[in-house]
Amino acid sequence: MSLFISVAGALFAFALNASPAMALSLNPDAASPGIKDSNTLHWILFIVIVAVIVVVNLAILRAARPRTRAVSPKPGKSISQVKLAIGLGVFALALFVVATIFSDKSREIPAVNSVPVAGQIKGEPLEITATGSQWLWRFDYPNGAFSYRRLIVPAGVTVKLDLVSTDVVHGWNVPELTGKAQAVPGSTSYLYFRADDVGTYTNRSSVFSGQGYDTMEIEVDVVPPAAYEKAIEVLKSDIQRAQDKVELEFRISQKKSEVAAAHADKMEADINKADIESADSK
Amino acid sequence: MSRTTSYPQTMPPTRPELASDGPEARRTRWTELATSADHKDIGRILVAASFGSIFLAALELLLTRLQLAVPENVFLKGVTFDRLLSVYGETAIFLIALPLVIGLLYYVVPLQIGSRTTAIPRVGQIGLWLFIFGGILLYGSFLFTPPEAGINPLPPFSDATFTPNNGVDVWIASTGLVTLGLLMVSIDLLATLHNLRAPGMAWRRAPLFTWAGAIVTWLFMIIAPIFLAAISMLLIDRLYDGGFFAGDAGGSPILWQHLSYLFFTGVYMAVSITFLAAIGEIVQTFTGRELPRKSVIWSFVTIAIVGTLAWTQNMLTAPIPSGWKYYGMLMALALIVPFGLIFYNLITTVSASDFHMRAPLRFALGALSLASIGLAAEIAQSTIAVATQLSETYDAWAATHFALIGFVVFGGFAAVTYWYPKMTGHQLNEDRAAKSFGLMFAGTLIAVLPLFAAGVAGQVTDSYRYFSYEDVEVYNVIAAVGTVILFVGVILAVGNLVKSRTEEPVATPDPYRGDSLEWLALSPPPAHNFDVLPDVRSTRPMRDIREAIIRRDTETAEAERAAQPVA
Repeated sequence: MSLFISVAGALFAFALNASPAMALSLNPDAASPGIKDSNTLHWILFIVIVAVIVVVNLAILRAARPRTRAVSPKPGKSISQVKLAIGLGVFALALFVVATIFSDKSREIPAVNSVPVAGQIKGEPLEITATGSQWLWRFDYPNGAFSYRRLIVPAGVTVKLDLVSTDVVHGWNVPELTGKAQAVPGSTSYLYFRADDVGTYTNRSSVFSGQGYDTMEIEVDVVPPAAYEKAIEVLKSDIQRAQDKVELEFRISQKKSEVAAAHADKMEADINKADIESADSK
Repeated sequence: MSRTTSYPQTMPPTRPELASDGPEARRTRWTELATSADHKDIGRILVAASFGSIFLAALELLLTRLQLAVPENVFLKGVTFDRLLSVYGETAIFLIALPLVIGLLYYVVPLQIGSRTTAIPRVGQIGLWLFIFGGILLYGSFLFTPPEAGINPLPPFSDATFTPNNGVDVWIASTGLVTLGLLMVSIDLLATLHNLRAPGMAWRRAPLFTWAGAIVTWLFMIIAPIFLAAISMLLIDRLYDGGFFAGDAGGSPILWQHLSYLFFTGVYMAVSITFLAAIGEIVQTFTGRELPRKSVIWSFVTIAIVGTLAWTQNMLTAPIPSGWKYYGMLMALALIVPFGLIFYNLITTVSASDFHMRAPLRFALGALSLASIGLAAEIAQSTIAVATQLSETYDAWAATHFALIGFVVFGGFAAVTYWYPKMTGHQLNEDRAAKSFGLMFAGTLIAVLPLFAAGVAGQVTDSYRYFSYEDVEVYNVIAAVGTVILFVGVILAVGNLVKSRTEEPVATPDPYRGDSLEWLALSPPPAHNFDVLPDVRSTRPMRDIREAIIRRDTETAEAERAAQPVA
């Protein structure tokens, strides 16, 4: 009886929990064509899974029902095990075929945009390198500019993302655009995506990488192509300016030390001269 | 007609022709236990260690869930959380699942096949002590540095460069000792299975749990050396500048993922097979019906082979050739067939029968219910398009936990309550078992179901905190409440196992009228198990023996009646 109540409670709790899960589909703001296929597959599987769970648990509930009168001792009509296995095999194969179709579609390289943005070879995807290090992502753009934590990509442009790591395995995790992929040191993995809508997606890395793992954020800003070109130019000039500033400061400090050294030499010479003079006067 | 719910508390006196007490112990009980090479003592110690560890793992899970109850919590420091999580993962796999599987098999299978001992008992004894030292080492490491590199310490993060303290060395040493120890126990069990079966106990007559024992020990003989090799390579990388898993030195970090996931997937399958077989024994005994043996045993074999070969199902986001990924997906989805067959047979057999609901059957049905949720959710986890969205989130965590809590904790309690009279010689308190079952079942559902939604919303695992912008607080609060309920349930259930040993009436050798040979021996069995080795003539030897006794008694009575003078 207690099992009966528990299983009934379970189904009730499941119904309660399932409703928010139904409300939030896997990725409400999927922004890349491949991710929409992932979402479709998830919906299909979600319905299949819930159906399987409900059927199996109702059967268990029925099996555990309190026996108020004797069950007839003769076995009911039983299904042949071979037929059952074939049926389950067909079900599994159907799931595999559906999953393969949607997985293939979700992995397709999106059609390359006809008007290339700056740094993009015509007919080729825009190539950006994402480098994971403990605990910061760095993004290198084709024009030599780079940024940390925040990736800027143009909307409507197919991007090829090269994932590399300098130290440990990091989990690239932007479910709205690319899904998850591991960045493994010593090898490069590639992700293709095309963000169709302008927006900002903030996520966290997904493979445990140590003490700063929880703060290892990824922010992807999808902006119009013109804004992207401007942004990476600004980034480049900012970097150049910062570089120039560092160079200038370095040169100033070098100059200062040269001047100081010359000054010190002069003072030393003066002191030596004074010493010699005083010695002479004695 | 209302059926009575009372069950027989006493049985006819022991049959002197079948089993008798062993010689009196010459030393204290503890000394006997510690120096024993008897499979029953070793099995009991392994099972007891496993239930002690269930308490520890539940405590660690409770602490980590409390930390995650609210966003940006400061209850635990990051490093403390990482350590608890790493130790929790190792405890769940190496100190709960594996010793419970191997310990139960090692206790029950020699009795089921009518053997008086195991083939090489000293090997089993060494195995037990290696296991114990492994467990002590892991929990002793809280005195210095516990492991902190995650549930599966992926190199290069677990290399000396990035985790220089000796936590990972402790992980390697303790998992190595435990795996080696349990490997030796399974070698002994396998030798016993192949050499010491009772006369007539052909494989075609062996009980389901014995078949599970054969399949699981063979599987463990294959996967355990792979894992031992992998951790040896990691140790060489860490201590002697090896380059097995170092990407820049010609090694491959992906190699570790292949080897470790092969082992962990194999363990998952070994656990599933063992507890499905235990549930099968329980169902057969309580319903008095036989499951379709061929179908169930072939399903076990298929789960062992196909399931273990599905290891790349865990690596769908790793940079491996996509052929491996489709292969993992195919293998994982193929598992629908054997699992579906077993679930169908178990549930329909119970459904079509008449029985008293007792603790083992209650836990068994609970295990099937929870495992069905976990295994169904694994379908989504094993397809490439969805796994790139949902792997490494709490959705994956919840799927694995439903399957493993279902099989290991509920299946484990089912098996242990079923064989409890045999192991301890006492009955189990049914009321307390039912109450603790209700708490644990409700606790598991409340603790794990919301995490599916948290995973779909994108919460990643292994992180010691999350942020309010992620909008997953409500699920984590519910999960924390559920974990508290689960923890209380586990304490009550383990407490019931301890208390019933002294408080409950003495159990008879065959309290459930079981069909396999372990019910022939006394409860608890003497050191030599059986005085008379039975002659097995069918798949249900105990039923044959009971029928033979009844036949002999009626014949004797009739002969006596015939011999009486008429007047």
